[in-house]
Amino acid sequence: MTITEPITTAPVLAREGLVDCDVHVSPRTIDEIKSYLAMPWRDRYNGGGRGLFGNPVHGARLDSTPPGGGPTGSDPDFLRKQLVDEYGHAYCIILPRAFCNLHPDPDFGTAVAAAFNDWLADTWLSKYNHDGVFKGSITVNVQDPIAAAREIERWAGHPHFVQVMTDSGARAPFGQRQFYPIYEACERHGLRFAIHPGTDGMGINIQPSPGYPTHYIEWHTGLSFAFQSHLVSFLTEGVFERFPGFGVTLTEGGVSWLPALMWRLDAEWKALRSEVPWVTKAPSAYLRDHVRLSSQPLENPDNPKHLLQIFEMMDAEHILMFASDYPHWDFDSPTHAFPKLPEAMHRRIFSENAREWYNLP
Amino acid sequence: MGKHVVGRAGDLPPGARRIVEAEGRSIGVFNVHGTYYALRNTCPHQAAPLCLGAIKGMTMPSKPGEYIWARDGEIVRCPWHGWEFDITTGRSIFNPHKMRVKTYEVTVESAADELPDEVETFPVTVEDGFVVLHV
Repeated sequence: MTITEPITTAPVLAREGLVDCDVHVSPRTIDEIKSYLAMPWRDRYNGGGRGLFGNPVHGARLDSTPPGGGPTGSDPDFLRKQLVDEYGHAYCIILPRAFCNLHPDPDFGTAVAAAFNDWLADTWLSKYNHDGVFKGSITVNVQDPIAAAREIERWAGHPHFVQVMTDSGARAPFGQRQFYPIYEACERHGLRFAIHPGTDGMGINIQPSPGYPTHYIEWHTGLSFAFQSHLVSFLTEGVFERFPGFGVTLTEGGVSWLPALMWRLDAEWKALRSEVPWVTKAPSAYLRDHVRLSSQPLENPDNPKHLLQIFEMMDAEHILMFASDYPHWDFDSPTHAFPKLPEAMHRRIFSENAREWYNLP
Repeated sequence: MGKHVVGRAGDLPPGARRIVEAEGRSIGVFNVHGTYYALRNTCPHQAAPLCLGAIKGMTMPSKPGEYIWARDGEIVRCPWHGWEFDITTGRSIFNPHKMRVKTYEVTVESAADELPDEVETFPVTVEDGFVVLHV
């Protein structure tokens, strides 16, 4: 696919306020996506989510349905009122949910990814974006890395796409070499690579637990399993040595597991470094330059001091970025989800870390 | 402590709820099986509008593999995170001792002379009194 019209978007202006690293928007109808799909994909596409493990209570905040109707996150005015104006958002990092990488047919998955990108660019990143508050993620189908790299090229230089995104659901850990065309394209164009939960064990993807859990509560608690596997893979395969300008955003994958996993990996590395000689320093030492975690859903121990201790252990002041996950059911409120933080740390987590990571004014 | 007229009893039948503003607070008034209850419309977790949540029953504590659905109409689930609260007590289901929301007294009154001025223009019958919230 090629761009047929010049890109017209809102200007990039500096904005005051917090940066929310996980905001979900939806097309008003499936037809909005279909309109960007060529045949035969237009007929084949019928929307569809991940298929299993629907939330047994509700999947989105009940108060996030737009007053005029339509899916949650489909009305820009209402999203602005309920999120941007309510909490003083400077930027919303938007991650649409295309669920494109569960399809057995890689051409179909790639077409769906491209349609979501065209739709996002035409709506939330331009028509709905007069002030530049919305920053987007380029959806790619990781099952076809060459096509995914082409899709990244197609959007390179767009002023409001700040990262590339995929679901955590995969057939292999993301540090492996078949994915390198994607990382090369990300590095070349200064785009971060975001992983967001979804499609684990769905379609052609492998479930990152021993078999399928029975309940949503198990599945949702285990969202971090895939993230831990992907992170260990990135670090041990030497992806950050091969692509020194490449960075990964771990979105909605959990937070508090990081220190223990890194202690474990660093300890293994002391003994087993010779197996992966390209890992030239302790694996945890790559995090500050190459990895960021978004905060939601933030673990919430009964004693808030324990969370603050974990923040210290994991260098949260430099690698944690606030996210709300609006409008989903487990939304973290910017004013209530965190314990009281030292002012400098609050400023970094709620604003500065993301501005530096995404190069936002 | 003030009295606030929520509406006519007939307008708030069993299963219904109404959100009112009283003394600067948003409060949900519920009719559960003919008895009125009121809860602060702020979830103690992350301050969501709790009283706008779905009114449900609940699965009672049971043996593994056993499902006992009961208390239909007595449980409100927060519209954000889905936490369950007992409408009749304001106490959460998962930790009734520590996690609870403020409750208020609600009465049904038929005598207009005890009520604030603005309601005296309504005709009063014993059968359809006023639901009064005490804040």
